[in-house]
This record gives sequence, structure tokens and C-alpha cells, in this order.
Amino acid sequence: METLRQILSPDFLLRNSVYTSVLIGFSCPLVGVFLVMRRLVFMGVALPQISSTGVAIALSLPLWLGFRLTGHPSESVHVLAFAGSMTLSLIAILVLAFLERRGRGQPESRLGTAYVVAASLSILLLARNPYGEIGWLDMLKGEVITISNFDLALTAGTLALVLAALGFFYKELLLVSFDRVMAITLRKNVLFWDVLLYLLIGLTVSMAVLSVGPLIAFGFLLIPALMAYLFARNMRQFTTLASLIGGVVALLGFWIAYQLDLPVGPTDVVLLGVLYAVAWVIAKFLPGGSRGSRKNLG
Amino acid sequence: MEHGSTRASAGRTLLNKHMNEASIKLDNLSIGYNSQPVLSGISVSISRASFTAILGANGSGKSTLLKTLLGLLPAIAGRIEMATSAGKPLMFGYVPQSIQFDPIYLLTGFEVALMGTFGRVRPGRFVPPSERAFTHECLRAVGAEEFASKRFAELSGGQKQRVLIARALATRPDVLMLDEPTAGVDPTATHAVLDFIWQIIREREITVLFVTHDFALVRDHAQQVIWLHHGKVECGAAQELLTPERLAEIFEIGVG
Repeated sequence: METLRQILSPDFLLRNSVYTSVLIGFSCPLVGVFLVMRRLVFMGVALPQISSTGVAIALSLPLWLGFRLTGHPSESVHVLAFAGSMTLSLIAILVLAFLERRGRGQPESRLGTAYVVAASLSILLLARNPYGEIGWLDMLKGEVITISNFDLALTAGTLALVLAALGFFYKELLLVSFDRVMAITLRKNVLFWDVLLYLLIGLTVSMAVLSVGPLIAFGFLLIPALMAYLFARNMRQFTTLASLIGGVVALLGFWIAYQLDLPVGPTDVVLLGVLYAVAWVIAKFLPGGSRGSRKNLG
Repeated sequence: MEHGSTRASAGRTLLNKHMNEASIKLDNLSIGYNSQPVLSGISVSISRASFTAILGANGSGKSTLLKTLLGLLPAIAGRIEMATSAGKPLMFGYVPQSIQFDPIYLLTGFEVALMGTFGRVRPGRFVPPSERAFTHECLRAVGAEEFASKRFAELSGGQKQRVLIARALATRPDVLMLDEPTAGVDPTATHAVLDFIWQIIREREITVLFVTHDFALVRDHAQQVIWLHHGKVECGAAQELLTPERLAEIFEIGVG
């Protein structure tokens, strides 16, 4: 308990890391809910990896153009990395969603291929980058420990923007996800709302990848939403519960990692996995409760 | 059956009243996918406040015609003329097949029906209480209010269908389009749904287009029939088109 009090203290040395983890924990599940509902779970796996490849490309760009950069990530480097991550995420999500809508081929094989190619490309790009191992690799791995005030402000600002857009346009995003034909007959611009949703997913994923790394981003995108689905009875409960689970697990994970001197990211993901297994068992024995929900998730 | 005939006769009176008021006019229309026509030369006039059935076997082009009318598919050739309602384009209330919805969405029947009002609520705004009250009214009208608070995915086929009709009514439509609304619905619920559609036509003077492959339903309930059969389109009043002689002629079998 003493450790928890220490972590939550405003004087705590790693307070930016705690705040960032919790922010990501609260926000990722909110877009993860849409990935689960649109049955784009595999995209949730591939997207963070593709996003981190965007970081690697953006960080290699100045070297290819002959500029000399400092070894440790500065604010401008961080913004460059964010731009690269965001650009590649958005391109990937639009292309993959377009292919998904066409309904041809196997989505799993497409996303699996995108995942492994993106992962390999990141490694290759950083292997050719002389500054890669000094500090940028930490950024790409999502080293939660080294988060500056600027990183925290960028994360908070971006996520606030995403949350505001999700809140304001929830009914339009839900309508185009649930029934596109209805949306068209109501003269809604379905393409616009689809692109907006993908933009919000891309922004959140990019921010999460940059702050905490692809592995944790994936964990927080999907596992809290999958857990919440086991117990929720309506969309409001689903969204709120997913976000709460993400935020609380992020804090708990940090606490456990700090207590046991473990890396924060993998601790968070393992904790999410264990809690998901426990939640699944509880839901299975709940009277009636979430029978339909589990069946629907197949 | 008798019930159906009485209804169709009442409907004919209504049809005569609006005989010269075409809601939708199809002129030499060709429809299909990727410029490949499924049906060609469709010329039909659909009167306002009429009950028109689009009849045909699976794969005959019924849904393609419906999608083209809804604007989901472009027409390959020909023209679709739509009347206007108070200077505005016609509002379509679409009732899809209830089985097409993904059960993963944790939406109640009310939340699904409420979507019908989204066309009148600007993005970024909450649905006002007046629209919520109107949605309750639509649910009450179709007899769906008592189960509207339950999860949509857990409702029976007939209950889902009623919620979807309520949703279409919540759009305040000029034309109600129903895609096989009685598929997977038991006979009692089917009659309840069709009775309700008749009530809507009488009370609100809405044009109804009803896709089905069920001859009996068409004979008992529809005034006008657009029959898609082996790439041909037959149109006419239900009582004239569905006589044994005309059926034999269309199916190219001897009467005897």
C-alpha cells in the first residue's frame, strides 16, 4: 500500500509514466470497443505493429536525407515519430478496411502478413540506423519509464481530442457501424464517418504505440473491451466498463511492476490476460448473465 | 383469406384515390452489378399510398431492384423518377431482413428504433426528448413497446421485425420498403406484421414496397405486383396477375 501511495504522489519521479499509462489504459479500450463490434480484432493486433513501423520510417527519414540528429529523442524527433506513426497507421487502416469491405480473400491472412512484414521492416530500418540503439529503440519499444512533460502533454492532448470526437459523434459512428444501409437511406455520408472513425483509431493507436509500445497498445485496445463484453448488458455499460478496466489495470500494472522491479508494459499485458481468464470463468458461472454475449463473440 | 381479400379491396379504393399520383416511376430501367444487368426494361409506376409487392424466386433480382430504388446501387440504364414530398426528396423507411444484423451489438430494441430519428438530429447533438417520445410512439404502434427494453439480438424474429418497422416509421417515411419482412417469422406474427402495414397505409398514406417470394401473401395483401420471373418483369394488379390463367401463361404450362 505504501508503494501505491508513493506512485500516486505528485512528487513521484516517474509520475509522467504513471499518468501516461493510465491515460492510454482509459482511452485505448474506447476505440477498441469499435474494433470488437466491427469484428476487426485482428486489425487491432496488426495496427500497433504497423504504427511502430511508421515510427521507424519517420526516424530513418532524416538520415536518408543526410541530416544529423542527436541520439536521444528530442521534442521535434518525437513529433516526427508521431507523424510517421499516424501516417502509416491511417494508410494501413484505410487500405485494410477497404479490402475488408470488399469481402474478398481471407482477412486473417492479410492482417497476419501485414503484421509480420511490419515487424520485420521495423527491425531492418533500425538496424541500419546508427542512432537506433541509443534512445530511439526505447521509444519504439515503448519505454514507459522515459516520458517527458512534452510527451505527456502530447498524449493527453491527442487522447482528449479522440475522446471528444467519440463522445460528440457517437450516434453517427454507431449507426454506420451497426447498419450502413440505414445510414445511407438517412442520407448520412457513410464514407466520411468511416474515415473519421478510422482516423480516431489511427490517432489513438499511434499515440499509444509511441508512449507505451505496440505490445501494450494491442493489449489495451482489445483485452479490456473483450472483458467488458462478458458482463455488459448495453452499449453504455460496454464502453464505460472497458475504459474503466483499462485505466485501473494500467495503474495496478504499474504498481506491481514497480513493487517487483519488472518492466511495466509486459506486466500490464500479462495482468490483463490473467484478469480476462478470471473474468471468463466468472462470466461462465454467472446465472444467465452473459450467455448471449459469449456466444456472439464466438 | 377472407380477411385478406377485404383488406385488398379497401386498398383498391385507396389506390384509385391516388391513381394519378405516382410516387415512383421506373422508365425502361436496367439494374445489376458492375454494369452486368440482372434485369432490363423495367417500366412501372408505383402509386402513392399503395401496397406493391415485388415478387420473385431467389436470385430473380428482387433485392437488386430494392437496392437500386434505395440508391445503394446505381441503375445501369433507364430512369427512376421520384415524386417529392413538400419540395423535398422522398424519405425512405427501409426494413431489412432481421437476420442480417450482427448480434454482437449490445443494443436494446428501443435503441435500434431510435436510429430512425438520427436523420433529423444533427451530428454532435443528443436525440431530443421529443424524438425519443416519437420513437416510443412508433414502438407502441407496432406493438413492440413491451419488449423494446430487451436486447435486440435476443428478440424473436417477429419481435425484431416489429422493432425494425418501428425504426422505419421513426424516419417519418414517404415510402416504406420491406425486404422479406416475414422471412423466419411464424404465420401469426406474419399476419400481425401485414395487418399493421395495412393500417399504416390507411392512416398515414405511406407507399409500401414489399419484397417477398410468398405467392399467398401477395395474393392476400398486395394491390399491385411487380413479378420478376426468368429475367422478365410482369406488372399489374394482384387480382389480375395472379389468376390461374395468367400464372399458367407466365410459367408456360398448360391449363386444364
